Amino acid sequence: MAHLRARSCFVVLTVIAAALALQPSFTAGPRFYPDDPLQREPESRDASGVKAWDIGLMYELAVNLYVNERRKPSNTRAQNVNTIDEVPDSSWFTNRIGQTRVTPEDLARGPNAGRPPAPEKWVIVREKSAGAQPGFTARDANGETWFVAFDEKARPQADSAAVVIATKIFWALGYNQVETFLTTFDPSRAEFDPKATMRRPSGERTPWRRTDLDALLEGVARNADGTYRVVAGRLLPGEILGGFRYDGTRPDDPNDIVPHQHRRELRALRVFGAWTNLTDQKGGNTVDTLVKENGKAIVKHYLQDVGSTFGTANGPHDWDVGWEHFYQSDTTVRRFLTFGFGLSPWQTVPYKEYPSVGKFEGDRFDPREWKPQTPTLAYVEMRADDAFWAARRVMAFSDDLIRAAVRTGQISDAAAESHLATVIGNRRDAIGRAYLPAINPIVEPRLTADGALSFQNAAVDAKFAEAPAAYLAAWSLFDNATGTAKPIAETKSATTSMQGPAGLPRTEGAYIEVDLSAQSDAHPSWREPIRTHFRRTANGWTLVGLTRLADQPGDAPVPAARDQK
Amino acid sequence: MSPARAITLAVLCLAACPASAVAQAQEPSTRAGQIEQAQAAKVTHPYEPGQVEKVLNFVESTFVPGSGPHPFFESAYSGGGFTLGAGYNQFVSPYNTVDMRGSYTFKGYKRVEAEFTAPGLFNRRGTFSALAGWREATQVGFYGIGTNTSKGDRVNYGFTRPHASAQLAVRPTGGGLVVSGGAEVSQWDTGPGEGSAPSIETVYTPQSLPGLGAEPVYYHTQATVGFDSRPAVDYARRGGYYRVTFHDYADPDDLFGLNQVTYEAIQHIPILRETWVVSMRARVETATNKEGQELPYFMLPSLGGGSSLRGFSSWRFRDRNSLLLQLDWRAMINRYIDIALLYDAGKVTERSGDLSLNGLKSDFGFGFRLHGPASTPLRIDIMKANEGFHVVFASGAAF
Repeated sequence: MAHLRARSCFVVLTVIAAALALQPSFTAGPRFYPDDPLQREPESRDASGVKAWDIGLMYELAVNLYVNERRKPSNTRAQNVNTIDEVPDSSWFTNRIGQTRVTPEDLARGPNAGRPPAPEKWVIVREKSAGAQPGFTARDANGETWFVAFDEKARPQADSAAVVIATKIFWALGYNQVETFLTTFDPSRAEFDPKATMRRPSGERTPWRRTDLDALLEGVARNADGTYRVVAGRLLPGEILGGFRYDGTRPDDPNDIVPHQHRRELRALRVFGAWTNLTDQKGGNTVDTLVKENGKAIVKHYLQDVGSTFGTANGPHDWDVGWEHFYQSDTTVRRFLTFGFGLSPWQTVPYKEYPSVGKFEGDRFDPREWKPQTPTLAYVEMRADDAFWAARRVMAFSDDLIRAAVRTGQISDAAAESHLATVIGNRRDAIGRAYLPAINPIVEPRLTADGALSFQNAAVDAKFAEAPAAYLAAWSLFDNATGTAKPIAETKSATTSMQGPAGLPRTEGAYIEVDLSAQSDAHPSWREPIRTHFRRTANGWTLVGLTRLADQPGDAPVPAARDQK
Repeated sequence: MSPARAITLAVLCLAACPASAVAQAQEPSTRAGQIEQAQAAKVTHPYEPGQVEKVLNFVESTFVPGSGPHPFFESAYSGGGFTLGAGYNQFVSPYNTVDMRGSYTFKGYKRVEAEFTAPGLFNRRGTFSALAGWREATQVGFYGIGTNTSKGDRVNYGFTRPHASAQLAVRPTGGGLVVSGGAEVSQWDTGPGEGSAPSIETVYTPQSLPGLGAEPVYYHTQATVGFDSRPAVDYARRGGYYRVTFHDYADPDDLFGLNQVTYEAIQHIPILRETWVVSMRARVETATNKEGQELPYFMLPSLGGGSSLRGFSSWRFRDRNSLLLQLDWRAMINRYIDIALLYDAGKVTERSGDLSLNGLKSDFGFGFRLHGPASTPLRIDIMKANEGFHVVFASGAAF
């Protein structure tokens, strides 16, 4: 645990430093830089010295289950958000849905930029290097290399559909995804590369044989015409470095300076994972690659295996998957003392189960109670503002977009396909209902040149909350050099627009600070203002700062469901 | 600015924190410049796992299939007590192995053997194994014949048994149907027992107890047909196993030859999504001596011990026929731990027609099992019978 202690010390030092850095009187430097809010996180250093590693499964599971499960969140604000509380593009994340328009066609295409596999001939090269689905690595008729995976015999289409649909969704959410296609495999046209080998139980590699293929095909689903439906993932470009960890930084990557547990997009996997039931969140299901961009080597981070989603994970989900970690001390004690009669929700929740979907439901689903198989440190560290950010992206998926994503799974049972889309939609709404009203939901503040302020209420717009009685704005002149604010006025409105006070500066480069809150008896948390900063430009006012929840001692983490019910 | 300071501040200041903190040093004029400065300041180094990670990685690597040493906790004979042992598994081809192993118990039971296993026959539907070894048991209990014997009547005997066998098991349809057959040659060299109980020859004579002091050689052939729908033999929450096994023990001296038949039914019934599992087992064993030959006491069907009548000592009841009924009500505590309420009942009889539900010996208890998806590395059963408490420590499911 030595390095864990080191990481903990680093986090503690970071938090202390944060508290110091946030003191307005610490220095006379500017609060905002000219390039704020940053749109892309720089990767300035050449990372060609990065070496591949393996993340031990047993160690990762042990830490997640027996260390992280007991950890209290540090309430540290996400450290890779820009000054307006958004996640800039990076080697981890690309803003798509919620920031840009994503059409059903965009979603159906997802990460697939190249041509699909040519299934007229497959040349088997070796076994698959990732994932538990039966399959192999093979070259298609075009000579491109793919990871080919089959469906379980008892559940045709289930695993392949889950992988394809989830790949589209996580691409739209902003994550780097493997190009993934549904295609076919005809064993009569399969060939074996003369150098094709397979790792045997003894550990040695011996040539692939036809009997190996026969054994594999014996347990997988076959089409009526004798071919097999397969999902093919394109070989990623660059050098494969192994997975990324959900805590700390990669010590050999100079550009990796934000501890992963404090990266918002990794914390947000608690929400996105709950939505899609991505239960197997571990380093082994991620992959880093070393690629050349703009003449230098950088590390690019992928959520590689998003196949353990919806109701399936190389077989139907076990009953407790999504409801409990693999090990939880509280349920262990309860069941021991009651001989199992202390029931958990998963033991009684009704499922409408289709073989091609598995166990996936959206009626009893509560994202605040959802559990992955093992909790990563990023999962533990998610705060209410991270969840709010994630929920807005989930809510950006319209029913049409969800149906477009589900259609890419090519599930032949129309009832199953419809059921899957319905459940995804219901879970989306449950996420919005849980996280959007939980904290001050004012978003998209805009200030015109003549001082007209407008904004939106994400919770009200989504019809998850009644409009508040009034909105309040506390206006201050803001000195960017010192970080000090001088109150000038307070305004109030029953709607999401109001006129600012007279006398707002008109000098280019001037700053104002506006604290926005709402008066709602039903949602006391809305009284806590979001803090916004605007910079005067030639064209008017530009939003340069937004803080929804600051780092504060005693800052509340994500509210538990029981606190909000 | 020190590298550590620059990094610390940069990770803070990608967010909305003031640029102020770094303004004192050689100031970047942009946010991007600030981050780039921190990236430049980062001192990179290869990842160095901590001690715990190294240990767990080592443990994990030992579970990767391959040649290597392994622990071995199986005693030479039931009732041997706490067992320590080790083995070495060596792949001799991509799929086939030779495993050499041995164990020793605190009661002095010894076991050494070597087994060749070929699991990939007939398109991976068949497994062939060949085994050769030697066992010694020093204080096997014998309480007399029948159910109505007394715990205080215990005497002990010992034996050594060199043996060699071969077995082929096939799932011809690739499904639940299981067919197996095998042959074994062994020599039972029985003799006086050690331990606190009297040695068997001090109480019995060859006339009063057939087989006493015998040293028969057996040519043992056996065949099984069954249906196994359990996901795994050593841990299951659903499925069942139904089998009939025929044994022929031929004594070349025509003194102690016998036939034996075992009928067994096991069924696991999950309740409320495997919150609980009711596991039931019924087993009948019958043994008959061959024409003109005697049935030796040490080959009689028996009850008692860690996987039959768990509240009684090993080999507590012996006779020509046995009936065993077991009921385990397991509760899933988490993915690795089950607890269970246990009940066993059974009897031994001279005539198979007497195998009724009357006069059963029974026990009950509480069990704790540490298990994986397909195995039960540790089973602790605390049982109560009319002869007192009995604690079973075992690796492997009871049934």
